[in-house]
Amino acid sequence: MTGLYRRLSAAFGPEVPGLLGFLVLVLVVFGVFAPNFLTGANFGSIAFQLPELGLLTLAMLMPIISGGFNLAIIYTANMAGLTLAFVLKQYGGVDAGYWPFILGTVLAIGVGALSGAVMGAVIAYVGAHPILVSLAMMIFLRGLGEFLTRGGDISGFPAWMATLGHGTVLGIPVPLILFLVCAVLWHILLTHTRHGFSVRMIGSNIRAAGYSGLHTRRTLILIYTLSGIMCAIAGILMLSRFNSVRVGHGEALLLVTVLACFLGGVDPFGGFGRVLPVVIALIVLQVLSSGLNLLGANQHLSTAVWGLFLVGVMILRWGAGWISERRRRGR
Amino acid sequence: MKRRTFGTLMASVAFAATLATGALAQDKPTMGVVVKIGGIPWFNAMEMGILEKGAELGVDATMIGPTSADPALQVRAIEDLIAKGVNVIGVVPNDEAALEPVLEKARAAGIKVVSHEGPGLKNVDWNFELASAKGFGETHAELLAQKMGGKGEYAVFVGSLTVPLHNAWADYAIAYLGEKYPDMKLIGERYGVAESVDDSRKTALDLMAANPGLTGFLAFGSQGPIGAGRAVEERRMVGQVHVLGPFSPGQGRDLVKAGAISGGFMWNPAEAGRVFVTMGKMLVDGAEITEGTDIPGLGVVSPDVENRDIITDNLIAINAETVDGLADLGL
Repeated sequence: MTGLYRRLSAAFGPEVPGLLGFLVLVLVVFGVFAPNFLTGANFGSIAFQLPELGLLTLAMLMPIISGGFNLAIIYTANMAGLTLAFVLKQYGGVDAGYWPFILGTVLAIGVGALSGAVMGAVIAYVGAHPILVSLAMMIFLRGLGEFLTRGGDISGFPAWMATLGHGTVLGIPVPLILFLVCAVLWHILLTHTRHGFSVRMIGSNIRAAGYSGLHTRRTLILIYTLSGIMCAIAGILMLSRFNSVRVGHGEALLLVTVLACFLGGVDPFGGFGRVLPVVIALIVLQVLSSGLNLLGANQHLSTAVWGLFLVGVMILRWGAGWISERRRRGR
Repeated sequence: MKRRTFGTLMASVAFAATLATGALAQDKPTMGVVVKIGGIPWFNAMEMGILEKGAELGVDATMIGPTSADPALQVRAIEDLIAKGVNVIGVVPNDEAALEPVLEKARAAGIKVVSHEGPGLKNVDWNFELASAKGFGETHAELLAQKMGGKGEYAVFVGSLTVPLHNAWADYAIAYLGEKYPDMKLIGERYGVAESVDDSRKTALDLMAANPGLTGFLAFGSQGPIGAGRAVEERRMVGQVHVLGPFSPGQGRDLVKAGAISGGFMWNPAEAGRVFVTMGKMLVDGAEITEGTDIPGLGVVSPDVENRDIITDNLIAINAETVDGLADLGL
């Protein structure tokens, strides 16, 4: 058992075995108590619900590892969704073909990247705190979006777009495939590239990183641009899942993405964090939420359980750190 | 040590959840009703009606109230209900367009869908209303005109600019006043704040400060009259500024007695909850709903078969005389 624990820790980081254990526990508990929990339909439902939250969490993850924050993710996503919606509407709405979709997708990703790049540039060159900058961007985008749509929603897209949000390939939900591809890309980007290294160094100590010759400003701009691109992908997915876009769709998910990052062992002060534990934390959150729904529990109770879960994880981490510290001193 | 602590924590949480919800019976028809938001008096009353009628008719009916009025959360709750395999899904939509794909999925899975306050929804078996948009808007408009003496400036609140029903009431009310009382003037456009007490209060304070001639608020949305009433009370404008609109009597009792809210009309959310279950049971039993069918709670109906709408007028007045009786019903 300890051997397995060590091997898992060594391969994927110290957070993974604990979170996996947790996931198994949650599955067992709900498997016993909740009717229909261990069914294909339920896991299908979990697999369809996870990706939009997952993509948004990935967008939040990179700024947090760099010691920053991106409060604008939801509105960036919906602005990108609105961009795609505008393009589709221009080319006939329900009758739009594939080319408008591709054009719209490119433009949507461009909008996401642009909003991210602006935030990154302000953070890098003005030196304002990322929370303030992204808050400003969030308010700006919400206002702009409400203004452009007059608070309403845009709907009526080609029927084939439903495949993106609700279809399956070989039994695997399309959104899940999209999410897994993005997660793997993010993992490679963060662990195997110069950019990923720079992100972690900036998160640890931006000044030291700068003195060591890293181009911190360029890296910061790239971090937020990539985050914006990930938001745009999430926005396109939300559009196809809801068959409509409104600036406010998914507002409630903002803090959940932060929760998922911290549960996944990302250091709130930056510098440390991996994709895999965050993905497992997302699965645990989704399983908890769906399981409590199957039990017919109050939604507020499931939010409370999420909170308890985060507090529990923090206490455990503190306890684990304390024990290993004692051991080291004892020797 | 580590995992055992965690295990105990999680098991106790899950166990508490199970105890809280009770054991689920397997052979009764099951029904889940997803409402706009949980934990507010209006939907608490609806839950009471759902549980009461469920026990009476032998339907295992529960209500799910998301933690915020975000369509994305409703989509998630409905996906979980599909996974749970309920026989009937009921829904009070936040945003009709966003729910279409997931309701389509539910019906494809053989689940009956009943909606309330969602006349534009396409993927439903029936949508029912306890008030017609025209009757409701005009009844309020007439009372406002009487209170204001047929002249002066008034402002209109709606729950959100994307709630079609609130906006339809507002359309009819404004049209009615424009035609019958040309001396009454609408201030600004309508404000989408009436699902929140705080937003309604703030907007009402701002509007009163900016428009000294303002003597009436027409607030469509369960929290709107409460917020506007508080603002009127704070500014000591009771008797000079009249607040009208549908609200929960228990919540607004003191404000009505103080005169800060002049009155309004409503339908009974508990009755709506009961109708959800009654209609769900009828659909499961395969009963036809046609011209002249007598549905308990709705009366003798004449359904709009093409749009799947059943619209009735079951209005009750809320004023200083009736408010106590209504509040004692738990509303």
